[in-house]
Amino acid sequence: MINKDVEKLLLKVQKPGRYVGGELNAVVKNKEDVDVRFAFCFPDTYEVGMSHLGMKILYSLFNSVDYIWCERVFAPWIDMEKLMVENDIPLYGLESGDPITDFDFIGFTLQYELSYTNVLNMLKLAKIPIYSKDRKELNRIVVAGGPCACNPEPIADFIDIFFLGEGEEVDLEVIELYRKCKAENKTKAEFLKLAAQIEGVYVPSLYDVTYNEDGTIKSVTPKENAPAVVNKRLIMNMDDSYYPDNFVVPMVEIVHDRAVEEIFRGCIRGCRFCQAGYIYRPVREKSADVINSQCHTLCENTGYDEVSLSSLSSSDYSNIVPLLEKLNKWSKDEKVSISLPSLRVDGFSDDIMNKIKTVRKSGLTFAPEAGSQRLRDVINKNVREEELLSTCSVAFNGGWTNVKLYFMIGLPTETFDDVAAIAKLGQSVVNEYYSCPNKPKGKSVNVTVSTSSFVPKPFTPFQWEPQDTIEQLHTKQKHLKESITTKKINYNYHDADTSFLEAVFARGDRKLCKAMAVACEKGFHFDGWGECFSLEKWLEVFEECGIDPAFYANRRRSFDEILPWDHLDYGVTKEHLIRECKKAYEDTPTPHCRLKCSNCGAAKYKGGVCFEKRKSMV
Amino acid sequence: MKNVRVWFKKQDECIYISHLDLNRCMLRALHKSKLPIWHTEGYNPHPFVTFALPLSLGFVGEKESMDIRLLDEEYPFEKIREELNKCLPKGIRVFKVTEPVMKPGKIAYASFKMCLSSDKISCDRLMEICKELFSLDEILIDKKSKKGVKQVDLKPSLVKYSLNRQIGCVEINITLPAGSTNNVNPNLILDALNKYYSIEVNSKTTRLDIFDENFEEFK
Repeated sequence: MINKDVEKLLLKVQKPGRYVGGELNAVVKNKEDVDVRFAFCFPDTYEVGMSHLGMKILYSLFNSVDYIWCERVFAPWIDMEKLMVENDIPLYGLESGDPITDFDFIGFTLQYELSYTNVLNMLKLAKIPIYSKDRKELNRIVVAGGPCACNPEPIADFIDIFFLGEGEEVDLEVIELYRKCKAENKTKAEFLKLAAQIEGVYVPSLYDVTYNEDGTIKSVTPKENAPAVVNKRLIMNMDDSYYPDNFVVPMVEIVHDRAVEEIFRGCIRGCRFCQAGYIYRPVREKSADVINSQCHTLCENTGYDEVSLSSLSSSDYSNIVPLLEKLNKWSKDEKVSISLPSLRVDGFSDDIMNKIKTVRKSGLTFAPEAGSQRLRDVINKNVREEELLSTCSVAFNGGWTNVKLYFMIGLPTETFDDVAAIAKLGQSVVNEYYSCPNKPKGKSVNVTVSTSSFVPKPFTPFQWEPQDTIEQLHTKQKHLKESITTKKINYNYHDADTSFLEAVFARGDRKLCKAMAVACEKGFHFDGWGECFSLEKWLEVFEECGIDPAFYANRRRSFDEILPWDHLDYGVTKEHLIRECKKAYEDTPTPHCRLKCSNCGAAKYKGGVCFEKRKSMV
Repeated sequence: MKNVRVWFKKQDECIYISHLDLNRCMLRALHKSKLPIWHTEGYNPHPFVTFALPLSLGFVGEKESMDIRLLDEEYPFEKIREELNKCLPKGIRVFKVTEPVMKPGKIAYASFKMCLSSDKISCDRLMEICKELFSLDEILIDKKSKKGVKQVDLKPSLVKYSLNRQIGCVEINITLPAGSTNNVNPNLILDALNKYYSIEVNSKTTRLDIFDENFEEFK
């Protein structure tokens, strides 16, 4: 529904189709018929947000409940934002066109730290007070979930409720509680106190944080009967868990414009830099039959001709080849192509390759993450150079000529030799191409090497590590660039400035809230976008607030320091993380969950891979 | 195999999607509908579709058309309409399906209804300005194309039109050259008003119909 005031602006902005709704499968309800209006806000553009699977799942789930109407809200791009402010148009929901100012819930998904300023900016655009304490009534409850909720402290002053872990169950329980409290005329404070009793709910205002003189945390004390430790929630049975049979099909092109089927949650690997690999434990798979029928239904209901099998590492699905065989039975006739993102170097076989390119050929991307074997052992990326080369050889023989390789620089214990090894590995891939007997005739090989900068994250074995300074990262980027001697390799690197800010927020505490508020007042937004990001401006904000960002990004913590997220529990114990950190320094890898249990703590959820029969035991 | 012409309206939210987006949207609807249509046989097979005349972003289309190729020659036209409407966003509505009579290459003119208004000046004043503009001997404006900016005279194209003062807007009904050889976008009138009188005018524009060189309705 397009509201009249918005209509006047639409022909003055780029891609107005992002601001109008009206897509196939969008859910429009009568507002008189619902008790709870939920604004599901993605703090980035329409194209990015509409590509996000979590939002699709929760949007459909919420709307499957009669008394809830969930609408989508995205951050308007800067041209639209400017016009909305000039014309005094508050942020609105795409389905109704109504301002979200007085909705019951304003929910954000926190996918990356650099979207925090967009969260606050969207509240501002919606004319909602940004501080939790300034919203006194029992309405417009601001909630947030997603991976960044595992250390939500930098935005703790603004959000009423954080959902830890997977939202399918806990979100509905909280919405139901709200509805009840509303009917009983309870206050917001009473509602929050009750909500804090639900497992998976973290109400930051119910915790007092005190600090030592050196700025580290002295204590975190719950009040009003809130739990001392908040546990994440998770879905154990993936087959019975809610999955949408329908996606809103955007009319303008989005980043991932295809059907997406989740095949499992979690990851068996335990790469030591990877937060997702730890916070989503244990691995829980959907069965091949359920995946097959969900894929088919999704394609039928959306009209998409491509479905992507999504997970953290799709080739680790235990029955990947039989699954692809099932899918191929109908996909070819219905002209649907199957894509497999997140392929591991050691998971790409002839068998898989032949099954994913039946209709269309997608690009090939591998992430060895580190150049030398020693450093790959440090980060527990159990991939050997021979495996990468033999995989590339399979691909080259199969007609591919473009390979993308992703690496990180600034990893713990990294030396200049490790950095130069990235170039060497790239060169080996180039050489592999020329030694392939069946390489495509008359074509040259193209290897793209991309590096991002390592950002230490909470709930990983590297949560105590300092990040390299921006200068160190620049030196390493330069060193790598000079180590590459062939034109067959393209080198791209991710800007170190944004990685630095990401590192500040990732392991930040509540003292950063002040800087967030100042940044919001100054109009910061879209920090994840080169057009908008300015480290210089952020440094001014930190200076103004008396905050030293290096305290968060570049400081080594001791194992006994109280970390800002220590009162949140994601299943993996601190003892396990310390063990893994020590093993990293001994260059010792840890076998993955299916080979050997390393007693990380996730078995307490009583399901998933922790209770599968191990092949070695059979 | 048989060619059929699918006639549809593009309205409401869907006026804000570009021609490229419309194309993708139609391909998905065709895929979802499972109509027996012919797919291209290249490396990436997709349904074969051609649009008679692309519509600018922001315009309502009353009589848009798209040609597809049916594999089943007996397939009822009415069923095509029904099935496609089930698969399209509500802003795109198929209203009839016919056998194509004219080739899209024959298109020479298109008729538009424009409702002009401005925040800065009254409708009466806007009406005066429009009359004045249309009576100039020469209306030179910059026309942007892929090849660059070219100055053109709009005057010779302003032949069949009427100007009417309506409640809240000035309504222009106008038929302009259209098609692949000489295409005049009615938005050029807004550019001309801006250039000659320095006023920013908004228009709600609807493409009503399409014609060949003899002003025969495109069928």
